[in-house]
Amino acid sequence: MSVKRYSSMEYDNFEDLLFGHSKYPVKTGLGLEIGAGYTTAEINYAPRPDAAKNKATLVNEYERITRDIMERMVQVGFPSVVLETEHVQQMTNNPTWGGEVATAQKAIMEKYHDEYGIKCALRHTVGDIRGDRESIDLRGDAYSRILESFEQVASSGADMLSIESLGGKEVFDHAILRNDMRGVVFSVGILGALDVEYIWQDICSIAKKNNVVAAGDTACAQANTAMFVAGGLLDFKLSHSVASVVRAISASRSLAAYEAGAIGPGKDCGYENNIIKAITGYPISQEGKGSTCAHSDLMGNMAMQCCDLWSNESVEYRGDFGGTTVQCWGENLSYDCSMMNTALEAGVGKTLRDVLMVSDRYRDPQAFILSYDNAYRIGEVITAHPDDLYLRAKEAGMKACELIESGSAGFLELSKFEKATIKKAQNDLKSLDENMESFIDNCLDIYSSEVDTFNPSNYGL
Amino acid sequence: MIDINPKNILIRYNILVESDMTPEEVAEQLYPTDPHILQVAKAVFEGDEDEVVAALQNTIDSGVDPLSLINDALMAGMEVVSTLYDYGLLYLPDVIISAQAMIEGIEYCKEQSKQTHESKGKIISYVVEGDIHDIGKKIVTVLLRANGYEVIDLGKDVPVEEVVAAVKKEKPIMLSGTALMTTTMHAFKDVNSRLLASDINVPVVCGGGAVTQDFVSDYDLGVYCEEAADVPKIADSILQGLDIRKLRDTFHKH
Ligand code: B12
Repeated sequence: MSVKRYSSMEYDNFEDLLFGHSKYPVKTGLGLEIGAGYTTAEINYAPRPDAAKNKATLVNEYERITRDIMERMVQVGFPSVVLETEHVQQMTNNPTWGGEVATAQKAIMEKYHDEYGIKCALRHTVGDIRGDRESIDLRGDAYSRILESFEQVASSGADMLSIESLGGKEVFDHAILRNDMRGVVFSVGILGALDVEYIWQDICSIAKKNNVVAAGDTACAQANTAMFVAGGLLDFKLSHSVASVVRAISASRSLAAYEAGAIGPGKDCGYENNIIKAITGYPISQEGKGSTCAHSDLMGNMAMQCCDLWSNESVEYRGDFGGTTVQCWGENLSYDCSMMNTALEAGVGKTLRDVLMVSDRYRDPQAFILSYDNAYRIGEVITAHPDDLYLRAKEAGMKACELIESGSAGFLELSKFEKATIKKAQNDLKSLDENMESFIDNCLDIYSSEVDTFNPSNYGL
Repeated sequence: MIDINPKNILIRYNILVESDMTPEEVAEQLYPTDPHILQVAKAVFEGDEDEVVAALQNTIDSGVDPLSLINDALMAGMEVVSTLYDYGLLYLPDVIISAQAMIEGIEYCKEQSKQTHESKGKIISYVVEGDIHDIGKKIVTVLLRANGYEVIDLGKDVPVEEVVAAVKKEKPIMLSGTALMTTTMHAFKDVNSRLLASDINVPVVCGGGAVTQDFVSDYDLGVYCEEAADVPKIADSILQGLDIRKLRDTFHKH
């Protein structure tokens, strides 16, 4: 399959971005259509540590999880649901395990669909097992196993395929701890995009062959790492403005999956998906206040603004007072979806969207740049440089700086520290090379010597 | 698009608590006074490797023993950095950049000296078996090295056997272990029992996302701590003779 770069925005106006609506809805699973006028909860879970002992215990665990979720959904009257199984290592390492889990889950979902008509679909997110102890080998044996795992789940009942790909992470980890903008642009904008593009061509062929959906990726290993190191308002670890710049650049990376043929919904933890939706018109999954079981963020309401699936990121399966954790969190998400769907039916969807967005818009620079209007603006600079991975990443970063700076003239309060770091990031980005060729040459020199595990051949460089 | 003034909706507490003084101003008050040493300490604070080496060279040329500069000048600079980080005036990348400059400086002093330099102590650092989340470990490792410790970095996803073998071989003053997942952190307990079975009573300091104080308190050698920046402080306390019980008294905060 070939790669087709985006040179324009699928949405003409940011005002048209809205939850539950996408330009290109995705039909999948059992009667479900994502982004076709309603939102659906996407419930995500992790097996208990002991359950991954062997294949039988693991399949059994996922059966219980699936049954619990489906049961709760019909008990409370929700019309649709998506289940996401993020592979534990063993499942990807033993491709048939993933396949058997998918078969078992799908059988239960089919039963509920047949009995009650509940619309549902199953996403499998294969583990990126390409980084072993000593090194990262992106295109070797582990990669073949990943593809084998995709084959297995796609032919065994999974409706949507995803991965949280690692490409660029070795250089990114080094760069982010040193406030090194050159390394951020190189690792996320160039290395990450090259890797995403490479693997998604293969995933899309597998999806096509099995008639399932190539859904999308996320820059979790990069942008969420920055977001987690940055932490809360009183964590003085990483500038939140720098984390915002990483987020903006990461959209250029995640976009590469759609350029290689993916059609959404992108992965929940890709907070950059607001930008992706504005560019591609494909539906997205998002997480926010419903994922506090997994982590805290500074945009719990805002994350709903344009979502098509609404997720909890991940919760360990166990008992809670109100049922098992998947039931409690699934119910929570589904009530949120009910509220959004009611707003859509009543014709006040955009008002609710704005309430959700404004309630977090000024909480943090990271929220500010992902507010749908600003997300759209970042999308515009990315599509302005379709044939240049370097420029589009760099410009996305610059745009984030510019947005935060102009925001601070309004209601976005910045500390002196944030003001200084945004100035510095801006200057660092501005002073990078003029063109991609010399940028890549320089970076190959620098990071081959600074980062032990960096091997350019992983990226075809 | 709706837009409103958020002042009744959220509070940016980070701005409320921000100091009026810049980090540089606070650092000025903490630097050592000797002009040569001041120059080295400042270069460490600024994280400028070339400047660190230049300042060291100046000082050595004036007749000062290179090895004494590790403690008197480089560490003094790093102290300032650590203090400002504890105050919330510096951020992690500032600390990492200074630490890197500091490590270069230590190497330079060693090269310039005829005698051998004893590190403060040996520490083994690793990420538990099954876990590849290693950014926290990288941070811990750099900070320990910058504080004068020799770190044997076993990397990530390290089998229990290998940790135990390394302890037997290297005889460290402590272990620093990282685990980010509830599914992997149980490996700490295995390391604990394997070490005890061989009568080794070295503190196993445990941290990383998933790890909690309750969990770590459950095995004999475990010492819990949240912050990477506290790991060198734990190591210093071990050198001062604190045993595991006292370490827990000092560093277990919950
Ligand atoms: C970034 C990330 C990744 C990156 C890791 C990149 C890297 N080089 O480390 C990638 C994408 C590779 C990744 C992969 C996976 N991840 Co992950 N990941 C995260 C994420 C988002 C942030 C972690 C992080 O880097 N934090 C920042 C660092 C600096 O924090 P830290 O390591 O805790 O260190 C700090 C302190 O703890 C302390 N510290 C660290 N070490 C030590 C040691 C001592 C002695 C002391 C005192 C202190 C200390 O110092 C640091 C600074 O203060 C977390 C989310 C979360 N809530 O934690 C999930 C998370 C840890 N991942 C998770 C999962 C499930 C996975 C995968 C299995 C996903 C998959 N299906 O493939 C794989 C794991 C593969 C494996 N075998 O390990 C889950 C774990 C769930 C669980 N069971 O507990 C989490 C919690 C996400 C979630 N909510 O579901 N992940």
